[in-house]
Amino acid sequence: MKKIYTFLRVTRVLVLIAAFSLMMVPTGQAAEPVKVSVLTDMSGPYAGITAANVEAAKLAIEDFGGKLLGQDIEFVARDNMCKADVANQKAKELYEKEKVDVIFDCPNSAAGLAVSNQALLHKRLFVSIGSGTTRHTGPDCNRYTFDWAYNDYMMATAVGLWAAENLGKRWYTITADYAWGHDLFEHFTHALKSKGGTLLGNDMVALGTSDFSPYIIKAKNADPDVLVLLNAGKDAVNATKQAREFGLKKTAKIIHALLFIEGIKAVGDVFADDYVTGAWYWKSKNPGSREFVNKWQTKFNKPPNWMNAATYSAVTQYLKAVDRVGSKAPEAVIKALEGHTFNDLLADPGYIRPEDHMQVGSAYILRAKKSKEVTEAWDFFEIIDEIPAEKAYMDAAKTDCEMGGF
Amino acid sequence: MNAQLVLTQLFNGLILGSIYVLLSLGLSIIFGMLGVINFAHGAFYMLGAYVAYTIVTYVFPNFWLALFLAPIIMALFGAACEFFLLRRLYKLPIIYNVLFTFGLMLVFQDSMRMIFGSMGVPFNTPESLVGAVNLGFTYYPTYRLFMIIVTALCSLGVWLFLTRTRLGAIIRAGTDNSAMVDALGINISRIFTLVFALGIGLAGLAGVLAAPIQNVTHLMGMDFLIDCFVVVVIGGMGSIAGSIIGGLIVGQIIAAGIIIWPPIANTLIYLFMATFLLIRPRGLFGREGFHE
Repeated sequence: MKKIYTFLRVTRVLVLIAAFSLMMVPTGQAAEPVKVSVLTDMSGPYAGITAANVEAAKLAIEDFGGKLLGQDIEFVARDNMCKADVANQKAKELYEKEKVDVIFDCPNSAAGLAVSNQALLHKRLFVSIGSGTTRHTGPDCNRYTFDWAYNDYMMATAVGLWAAENLGKRWYTITADYAWGHDLFEHFTHALKSKGGTLLGNDMVALGTSDFSPYIIKAKNADPDVLVLLNAGKDAVNATKQAREFGLKKTAKIIHALLFIEGIKAVGDVFADDYVTGAWYWKSKNPGSREFVNKWQTKFNKPPNWMNAATYSAVTQYLKAVDRVGSKAPEAVIKALEGHTFNDLLADPGYIRPEDHMQVGSAYILRAKKSKEVTEAWDFFEIIDEIPAEKAYMDAAKTDCEMGGF
Repeated sequence: MNAQLVLTQLFNGLILGSIYVLLSLGLSIIFGMLGVINFAHGAFYMLGAYVAYTIVTYVFPNFWLALFLAPIIMALFGAACEFFLLRRLYKLPIIYNVLFTFGLMLVFQDSMRMIFGSMGVPFNTPESLVGAVNLGFTYYPTYRLFMIIVTALCSLGVWLFLTRTRLGAIIRAGTDNSAMVDALGINISRIFTLVFALGIGLAGLAGVLAAPIQNVTHLMGMDFLIDCFVVVVIGGMGSIAGSIIGGLIVGQIIAAGIIIWPPIANTLIYLFMATFLLIRPRGLFGREGFHE
């Protein structure tokens, strides 16, 4: 009897093993899970804004249900340290070793362009969010790269056109003296010229300048209606603080190239009554926006910024595209994304232009509130106006993009 | 380009120079006395601003109290740094204290980033100094005028202290030959601590003064540090008069550069330094055989 029991026990184990290994046998394409990655600045100068994009992507996967093509969606995140060489290396690793299907984000334009190149080499997708250069959808466009939510042209044009109409046509610009600043300067002045305004003067200022007073004095002397500050982070705070100190804020309105709720939270009233373009704001009434913000608030005790929302939207739209075609093959997914129209928290409606792979939606004109106007925590902006995508983005026919094949 | 604008710019250059003066003064006396090239000087300046922020925000919301307390706290902190850390390196080659103070700078910056975040903290101009004063040729912010007065008083104070007091005489003697001063029965190591504390106190004061007009972030000292080395090199290593005149010259060069051609404004001070060193390798007030 004992022998029979032993025999039965062994058989049971064998059967279990057999059954288990049957379950493990790969069944065609579907066996490989979809692997999503975020490559963003987690320790460099933009970390305060972009590090949370990792959480946004995770939340998007979670809200999607966590499963796609019958498998759990896999996720990895890497730090680009805001450096192009690091981004290039990490992108290579992500595509080759981690075998990811798509990379999202990658702030710093040089870093973004490096990743775009890796995407083309590896024939896998890259969705640019953080890097604002128009080259992604211009001369350096390729079939595998998409640009989500904004670019420098849109940031400059939306608030630029609006300011020329509503704040005044005599401008003075102070520009950060590197590629990003020069790019924005071109787009801002283009917007100004198209409205028949005049540029009273521009100063190219070295990155990391701590005292802007000589430039502010020059600007004040020119007596503009609008002072355009084309710098970011520490430089933007310094320039704005000193413009207020010299009384320039009393005679002119200030518009910025880039401003986030975190930046306003950090320095208080400095930016009060200044204007900027936003791709989204957490008070947005787009479908799903409220739910996203609520979830984010309970998790992180603060609302998301528009980069976070853009990441959530991009990841969601990618997963949906894979789901629509029933395959994660890059060609099929790219074709499903090209020309696709959607309505989500970020864009209502959003459209992915097939000509240059720019995801377009309307742009918001935001005014930074004075601290006494802020009645709800983190509600630092007032949505003043909404600029439709056709006005905010460069015409797809004019972008210098020659979209290649696969 | 009109005369009024030029005058305003040159005046502004004077004020720009005043922050350089305060920082280079400390940098210079520390180098002169201790032979330490203090790479952490900019970080101490940054800490001064954060100490002031902490006082104003969490202890007592009064700028004047912070202006008074923060430099003292920074001086004490500087003394502690010298006593517990820097002291161990004097006998080693100079590269050790360069590396050490550089490391100290990174530690200070990253600790502030960890505590207060990377975006900076708010700091407002004190109510009584908001606004502008009519100088005849321009309206100029009251706060900046106040800054230049404080700097002038401090420079004068440091100069009087070093030239008119007994302790000052010992410090000057120690700068020339510390072994000799030690042999005369004076506790030179205590003097070292005092000098370092004084230098850091001045950096702290510069930090508080700069806080209302600049973004208080963990990196705020970085940009100033290099410029201050330029000031010290132009002025002459270890010279107080050199720091003051050098600081004011650098302020003027930046202002002049911006009038002539802005993109060159920041490079101009290095060009000036290089040309100046070709003509006077020891700087304005550098002495022969001093730390050479």
